[in-house]
Amino acid sequence: MESTLGTFGSQDTSSIAGQAAGETLWLTIGMSVAGALIFALVMVFVALAWRGRGGARTWWIVGGGVVFPVVVIGALFVVSTFVLKSVAGPRAAPHVIEVTGKQFWWNVIHDPDGRAIRDANEVVLPLGEPVEIRLKSSDVIHSFWIPSIAGKMDMIPGRVNTLTVTATREGRFRGQCAEFCGLAHPLMAFEAVVIPPDEYAAFLADLDGEARDAVTPQERRGAEVFQSSGCIACHRVAGISDTRIGPDLTRVGQRAALGAGMWDMNTGNLAGWIADVSEMKPGAEMPSYNQLSGPDLRALVAWLESLT
Amino acid sequence: MSGTHRIGRLLALVVGFVAGLAVCVIVAVWALARPGADPVTTAAYTFVDRASEYWDSVFPDKDDAAPDWNALAFEVAGGDPETGARLIAEYGCGACHTIPGIARARGRVGPNLTGFRDQAYIAGVLPNRPGDLVDWLQSPPRHAPETVMPDMGISEAEADDMAAYLYTLEGR
Repeated sequence: MESTLGTFGSQDTSSIAGQAAGETLWLTIGMSVAGALIFALVMVFVALAWRGRGGARTWWIVGGGVVFPVVVIGALFVVSTFVLKSVAGPRAAPHVIEVTGKQFWWNVIHDPDGRAIRDANEVVLPLGEPVEIRLKSSDVIHSFWIPSIAGKMDMIPGRVNTLTVTATREGRFRGQCAEFCGLAHPLMAFEAVVIPPDEYAAFLADLDGEARDAVTPQERRGAEVFQSSGCIACHRVAGISDTRIGPDLTRVGQRAALGAGMWDMNTGNLAGWIADVSEMKPGAEMPSYNQLSGPDLRALVAWLESLT
Repeated sequence: MSGTHRIGRLLALVVGFVAGLAVCVIVAVWALARPGADPVTTAAYTFVDRASEYWDSVFPDKDDAAPDWNALAFEVAGGDPETGARLIAEYGCGACHTIPGIARARGRVGPNLTGFRDQAYIAGVLPNRPGDLVDWLQSPPRHAPETVMPDMGISEAEADDMAAYLYTLEGR
């Protein structure tokens, strides 16, 4: 999946591209090793007991029933207190991105307190800088998860959860809704794109403004079809329409995926998507537009692809 | 004394069982991950191939059969069906067409391409034969101005491969 921002990424908890994800991987490895050691130890005790050399009864009860749980739970309490403090505590991140979960896509707003630059289904992050991601939902509970970058966090209607992430590697990483949210829940994915901070600034400056002008006659016809066929009733394209029911299409041709991370963005898939959405993404609210004439639909596709 | 023996035998049994299980799991995972590399099947195929070669060398065909003109008529020069299948998936053909053998190709916008080789015309405008199909794939609107099928920027070499795959779809 090629786009001007790179190629489509994979979803892999062992391919680390963020601070929190690295910590999680080491925690997993550490816990697995500790679990294996405990298992081996128990096996040794079983062997000893088999040969009648087990310790005294009171030793087992005091050691296994009181000392062991107190030590383990005490240690977990201390560790988890520090973890929770670091997760929930206020941290002034230089960047803020608001992501709202919707059935079944993601609304993205960069710098929501300032310029409020709108985007959808792709979360662009600056490399190596902490980003505060404000997680909201406008319908049911979703969960925001980029396995390579950080742990998951729920998006709850009426609440704002914040997740601060720091990406440590450039690239494209797949994210996925991790809380069952309805019929198309498995088809609700997105991409996180990590680019250098100066490119991030340039990306925002480029996105903050009107969409690219239609150039060829076919693209101009496509823009007309977009306005006359009802697309503007749901979709925003900066400079043409300002409705916010469906995903923002101001830079739709630049994204690598279509239908919230589900299909490659290319002419064939885009044409099929407009003509028969319900087959490509059952549960999506967008209706199929098979009433358009052949040339009109091709013009619409050409124009949408030119929006980069 | 006998107690130690019993434990020893029991331990050997358990270790042997776990080791055997591990070998089975590793072989199964390996065979599933790389179906082509499954040693038993590969050996069986090699054996059958060798045997049939030997049979042909001992009993060669007396009369040369006539060429299969029907099969030759659908041969796309320079087209590789495997590359074609990959390209068909990449270009998103499955968004509109149902195509056997292509992952997620369940589209209902255009015709179902099952048994495409047996179809007489392409989109009702061109005879279904290799040269015309390669032309059509490169730019559908050039041949049918009212079609909804877009020009996807497919090169001639890519169209060769895709056509080669489409002609493997028989039986309508």
